[in-house]
Amino acid sequence: MYLEVESLEKRYGHFAPSVSDLSFSLGQGELLGLLGPSGCGKTTTLRMISGLVQATSGKIKVGGQDVTRLPTYRRNMGVMFQSYALFPHMTIAENVAFGLQMRKARHADIAKRVESALAMVHLSGVAERKPRELSGGQQQRVALARALVIEPDILLLDEPLSNLDAKLRDNMRGEIRDIQQRLRMTTVFVTHDQTEAMAICDRIIVMNRGKLEQIGTPHDIYENPATPMVAEFVGRINRLEGQWRSDGAIAVGDSLLQVKDGGGTGRVLIMIRPHRIDLGAWGTASAGSAEENTIAGTIRHVTYVGDTFQYEVATTGGLLQVEKATSSMADPFQPGDAVTLRWKTRDTLTFSTEIAG
Amino acid sequence: MPKISRGFHALCIASIMTFLLAPVILVFPISFSADAYVAWPPSAWSTRWYVALLHNEEMVTAFRNSLIIAACVTAITLIVAMPAAVALTRWNFLGRDALTSLFTAPLLLPSIVLGLAILVIFAGYGLVGSWPGVIIGHLVITLPYALRVLITGLSTMPAFVEDAAGTLGADPWRVFRRITLPLMTPALVASAALAFIVSFDEVVISLFIAGTQLKLLPVSLYHYVESWTDPLVAAVSALLVLGTLGIVLIVERAIGFGKAVSK
Amino acid sequence: MTVSTVDADARSGGGRLLLTLLLPIIFVNVIAFIAPVANLVAMSFREATATGSMKEGMDLATWSSLVGDAYYWSMLWRTIWIGALITLVTLVLSYPLALFVSRAEKAKALLIVLCISPLLISAVVRTYGWMVILGDQGFLPALLRSFNVTPPRLINSQLGVVIGMTEILMPYMILSLLSGFGKLDTTLEQAAETLGAGPLTVFRRIVLPLSMPGVLLGCLLCFVLAVSSFITPKMLGGGRVALLATEIYDQAIVTLNWPVAACLSVLILIVFGTALLFYGQLSKIVE
Ligand SMILES: Nc1ncnc2c1ncn2[C@@H]1O[C@H](COP(=O)(O)OP(=O)(O)O)[C@@H](O)[C@H]1O
Ligand SMILES: [Mg+2]
Repeated sequence: MYLEVESLEKRYGHFAPSVSDLSFSLGQGELLGLLGPSGCGKTTTLRMISGLVQATSGKIKVGGQDVTRLPTYRRNMGVMFQSYALFPHMTIAENVAFGLQMRKARHADIAKRVESALAMVHLSGVAERKPRELSGGQQQRVALARALVIEPDILLLDEPLSNLDAKLRDNMRGEIRDIQQRLRMTTVFVTHDQTEAMAICDRIIVMNRGKLEQIGTPHDIYENPATPMVAEFVGRINRLEGQWRSDGAIAVGDSLLQVKDGGGTGRVLIMIRPHRIDLGAWGTASAGSAEENTIAGTIRHVTYVGDTFQYEVATTGGLLQVEKATSSMADPFQPGDAVTLRWKTRDTLTFSTEIAG
Repeated sequence: MPKISRGFHALCIASIMTFLLAPVILVFPISFSADAYVAWPPSAWSTRWYVALLHNEEMVTAFRNSLIIAACVTAITLIVAMPAAVALTRWNFLGRDALTSLFTAPLLLPSIVLGLAILVIFAGYGLVGSWPGVIIGHLVITLPYALRVLITGLSTMPAFVEDAAGTLGADPWRVFRRITLPLMTPALVASAALAFIVSFDEVVISLFIAGTQLKLLPVSLYHYVESWTDPLVAAVSALLVLGTLGIVLIVERAIGFGKAVSK
Repeated sequence: MTVSTVDADARSGGGRLLLTLLLPIIFVNVIAFIAPVANLVAMSFREATATGSMKEGMDLATWSSLVGDAYYWSMLWRTIWIGALITLVTLVLSYPLALFVSRAEKAKALLIVLCISPLLISAVVRTYGWMVILGDQGFLPALLRSFNVTPPRLINSQLGVVIGMTEILMPYMILSLLSGFGKLDTTLEQAAETLGAGPLTVFRRIVLPLSMPGVLLGCLLCFVLAVSSFITPKMLGGGRVALLATEIYDQAIVTLNWPVAACLSVLILIVFGTALLFYGQLSKIVE
């Protein structure tokens, strides 16, 4: 493994640790997303990897070499800051050249590499301008070029897209992924936006309160969340409470639900994504099979948001949100309609240990 | 607002402004008086007091001494305050805020008390009337000004540029040379100008520790006014006002320029 | 929060470097601030002999002779009330000017520079300017005479000291007031107007209360500076206005009675402390 992080911990003063017991590893050329709510310790983790913050304990290894106590300026990591942190008193070319000058590269060599780095981010025309004369998107590209031109061992990006408007954000996201793939650059990408992480990362770490909740591919994280926190963080989801039965099914209200790999005792938390639930008129339902769960309900509320209808449905287990794609036809259900809710067994997520929250 | 009350309002503001600037402005006409004493209106105009000033050995010496002292104090102020400001903004340590308050505390002490305190202790070491004595005495009051300006400059620097330089391979010294120092040029210029003006103008502390041996301009002016009533001091005052104006303009250009560079 | 900091022990040798950076300023402060002030306080517990030399040992002799002397009590009282008067006049003159400047749309920066720049001119020069204006042959008496008014005694009197000190201190007051007005949002006044408040009510109910912190800070600053200033009272008072600060100078330089000068210095510091306490209490009420 190229980047290895072992039981990393950071305490600021005597507060609860901002990051604790964090371990993961990363292969050469992999793009890892660090995802979590604001304040969960993403930036702190990134700063420990780059050496801007000293880890309280734990180890960081790059290519097998322990760099935990190495100062930032000897680590050879490219860092892109959320605020870009371009040097305001230097031109764009000088900004990009800075890292090469620190490495005592030859003059002609520097000019050539700066030029090609700026070409890579489509900014060849602005080399002699000052950062304040560029738009946010352009500044962002300069920051990327400046981080990449030193040919870093690892690229670290801290919410690189959060200061851009929505359209630019999608473009830049694709571009970052492109460049990362082309250079086979081992990259850690911090974000609090799950779509962003899903869209470009090979694997994602979900963090919460300084701890790792789950590490896995975007598909894993979404389909098999390890904790309710992960399930809720990566998309809208319904919560129901139920009781395990000895036959491996779950009793919710007066209905029975099947789960894919069931079994347990006591109370259980069930989670289902709103768009994985199908709605049918009452009576069209066949009884629940091993493949499918059904439950009866009454429409409470309908909201039309253009591409979907969002229904609020009262069931014996509680309120459920259901999402249906709209079509050109009229609203199929009205408040008060009796309906059957139906969803795949494998879309029924269960969490036995954590009912709270 | 009705017209009359607005006119009255404007008149009030103009009068107050006049009051505020009157003493600084009126020394100019008086400095061109041909009379042997200060009287308004002068019976005739002349430049005789400027000529007299050039031939007044005490004033010329005092002016030269004050310039030298102010230049030394400015240089030492920057050399002492700069590392302190870096330490107080770039390190986290216990008692940092307390230290910062301590270093700016001399500003809060009445200068008459400070002057007396320094006199009493310096007298025991023969420092009264000596160059080092006066320089150290001035440092106590220039340092807090410079420190405040530099700390503000250092802590309002754009976010994370120093970190960024570190990640690009610059060691702490090179981060300071290439990033921190250029970005704080405006603060440096401002604190240098402030230190120079404060030292050059300081009269109370100088009265105590310059003694009679080391002539300094504000002290000599003060003593001159005590015993003479001619317009010589008006000529000096007019020159000092112009000099201060000059420094302010230079700083404005330098900082304006610096700001343009750093934005 | 814009700039990150390092922990003292974060870098290797960080602690030693930190100490090196702070050593020069600590050195200057110890030899020219902490030690002298401590020494001065100690000096107030000593006693001078008739020849000017110091008696051995420390006691309260100088203090008790001071406390028993009505001359010093009246001087203390005069210092305080003249200081308060100067503060009040300064406030009354500075408030409208500061309000005007903070509302100015055109040339605001220039106005601020004009109001503050007198600070950069030596107090000796500015006070001399007042001697030119207020002196018996000065500008103002000449002006008054041309209107057939007999001028009052302007110089070498308390009136002269108050006029000069007011002008000297105005920039400090204006600075404090401006910082207070900075928080004053004109939309608040507009809101009050839409609710039916006339200009006077707007001023009394909105502007004045919101500017109180700046007013208090300015008053503290001016009072403290007025009580401890010495050049202007000396030059414009002509030796006829005896205040604590002028007395300290006379005792230290003319009479060479350092213990008395030290006691009076401590007294000024006590007045300072009391003013600060008042300020703290009033700020709490204003909040
Ligand atoms: N320099 C610091 N001193 C004290 N606490 C800090 C510092 N930096 C971050 N923290 C705390 O550490 C936690 C994690 O912060 P951070 O890593 O910035 O979160 P994120 O980047 O995920 O939003 C937060 O609770 C924050 O308050
Ligand atoms: Mg963050």
